[in-house]
Amino acid sequence: MWIPIALSRDVPAATTRAVILDGMELVVWRGETGPVQIWEDRCPHRGMRLSFGFVRGNSLNCLYHGWQYGEGASCERIPAHPDLVVPPTIKANAYASTETGGMIWVNLPATDGPPPVFLAGRPIASLAIAAPAQTIIDSLGQPAAEAQLVETKLDGISLNIGWHSPGTDRTMLHVVALDPGNVESKALIALHQLRASAERTGP
Amino acid sequence: MLKLHDYVLSPEAYTVRLMLALLATPYERIAVDAYPGGAEVPVLEDGATILRDPGLILTYLVHGRAPHWLPAEHAAEISRWLAFAALELSALNAARGVTVLGQPGDLDALQIKARLALRHFEDHLTRRSFDDKDFVVGGLPSIADIALFPAVALSHDCGIGLEDYPAIHLWQRRVRSLPRFVGMPGIPDYF
Amino acid sequence: MTVEAAALDQWYTIGAINDFAPGVSTRRLLGHDLTITRTRDSFAVDNLPVRTDYGHLWTTLGAPQRPLFDIPESREPDRRAVYCGAVRVRASGLRLIENFLDLAHFPYVHTDILGIEDKPEVARYEVEQRRDVDELWATKCEFFQPRAAASAEGGQMSKYTYRVTTPFNVMLYKTPPSAPDRWDVIALFVQPVEPNLSIAHPYMLVIDDVSTEAELIGFQQMIFLQDKIVLENQRPLLLPLQPGRETPTRADLSSVVYRRWLKEKALTYGTEARTDLA
Repeated sequence: MWIPIALSRDVPAATTRAVILDGMELVVWRGETGPVQIWEDRCPHRGMRLSFGFVRGNSLNCLYHGWQYGEGASCERIPAHPDLVVPPTIKANAYASTETGGMIWVNLPATDGPPPVFLAGRPIASLAIAAPAQTIIDSLGQPAAEAQLVETKLDGISLNIGWHSPGTDRTMLHVVALDPGNVESKALIALHQLRASAERTGP
Repeated sequence: MLKLHDYVLSPEAYTVRLMLALLATPYERIAVDAYPGGAEVPVLEDGATILRDPGLILTYLVHGRAPHWLPAEHAAEISRWLAFAALELSALNAARGVTVLGQPGDLDALQIKARLALRHFEDHLTRRSFDDKDFVVGGLPSIADIALFPAVALSHDCGIGLEDYPAIHLWQRRVRSLPRFVGMPGIPDYF
Repeated sequence: MTVEAAALDQWYTIGAINDFAPGVSTRRLLGHDLTITRTRDSFAVDNLPVRTDYGHLWTTLGAPQRPLFDIPESREPDRRAVYCGAVRVRASGLRLIENFLDLAHFPYVHTDILGIEDKPEVARYEVEQRRDVDELWATKCEFFQPRAAASAEGGQMSKYTYRVTTPFNVMLYKTPPSAPDRWDVIALFVQPVEPNLSIAHPYMLVIDDVSTEAELIGFQQMIFLQDKIVLENQRPLLLPLQPGRETPTRADLSSVVYRRWLKEKALTYGTEARTDLA
């Protein structure tokens, strides 16, 4: 299943970001160049969350001992042993990812389907809401068949709203405006109303 | 020479250390043990002037030295954010006192208050991003950013990650990227 | 939750002497609530055995086979005993001990203090299980440190010896900047509150007539709080003893021997449930 877990805007070059998907901890990161990568948020050495790590060039380095991982999630360097050629078996746990429609997507649990394709728009916000996804999305319309995204209108603005669930009764919306023009502030107000209403309703 | 009565684990004292570092202002550091029940920090001494409130200290430090950290046209807005840091956002520091130092306090209530404050701040930074503004007010970093930063960057200490707050996460990276930035225990040099 | 004998039959600190007000107070150890009664300088902990040593109050919920471990340096008159304040950590106490034994994290977690990124190499060192005293000793440890102690003025190649006295108590011996022929003693006494919640009690016996008490405490607290961010973000929070769950290298020899020692003792409190056992 392809699930949107962040806005592309919110993971700029050379940064890491932690995302929780159904209780699973993921690190989303981008090198100085190259594609976005999504891994289990855990260094295989001592289990440290890699989202606390740091990007240098196109590698992600663990904060704990500086173990360095490159594209493909292979460990390239163990600083405590500068001369060691790191065995290829030492790898972080990587998941398939793609970017489309202004969002970052992970294929989890992995399916054979091709990654979705959506039109780009203007990123509005990722919004955490303390309510289950079902109640929020049902009020917005019919989701796309193959992806966790609904195209809808709020306050007259056309939006693509993707979502993921960090845990029980919690939802993170990822919102992109499809209209031209300066609609961001207006869209954000509408989203805050949606959030307030969903949290009032409760689970 | 300025004198700072400092405790390495205090977020409020760190606010002052950070500002002094960013300003490249030399000062004499007097380590005091402000572990619960100990001395109060921060205390800034400048001759006969003695200041204790972090927001006041920031205002005092940049006055005359580096006025671009407190531009006159944004003074009112900055003072609102200083109050926000001292009141709403300080729930994070209080929650940290419970989780790290075992101080008394209602952790659940403090975490709820802290999350409300973080949401308010997140919404503000999201609106700022629509105008490509990187910091809390105006176009450049101000003392509001410095007053807000420590509690936010230490939120993990009281069990609140920044997963729900992408705009705050990016903002705190920008603060950490400022020239002469210094961290504190819990805010690593690498990020 | 029942606690196995290997964890019960040990001495644990439940706090620094000075932190107990006269009268009745409570502490928690291995998931058990304890009532402590202080009358002047004497202590009662429910009906359990009590010791007051190394500035701390000690007790046990079981029947330890050995007396509380000895720290001979505590009797040297020119040492300063520094109690550094308790810090709560949401992690297994065993993770705290293992991190204390770790050299390789110095450049990244204690940057420009206990290590620098340019000199991350961990040289070969030795670890032995001393069966006569049932302790682990790691010897011949060396690491380049830009600011090895509160009183340090420049970098030095620090020499370390580590001593694990019980699964939850550890100390290190380290060359002080001021007296190259002596050893500073830095101990970490861990109070396991729950399997994944611990209180760390750092304690020092140092040769240092330069630093103030507040500087010594501040230095040690700084080091410990730098570790906390790692300890609370290791997954799992409990120590995994199952082979293949993590990836040790030669620099992790202390950890490998420590985990083997825990397995040999059948200690499970604060460890991840294993699926490789029959």
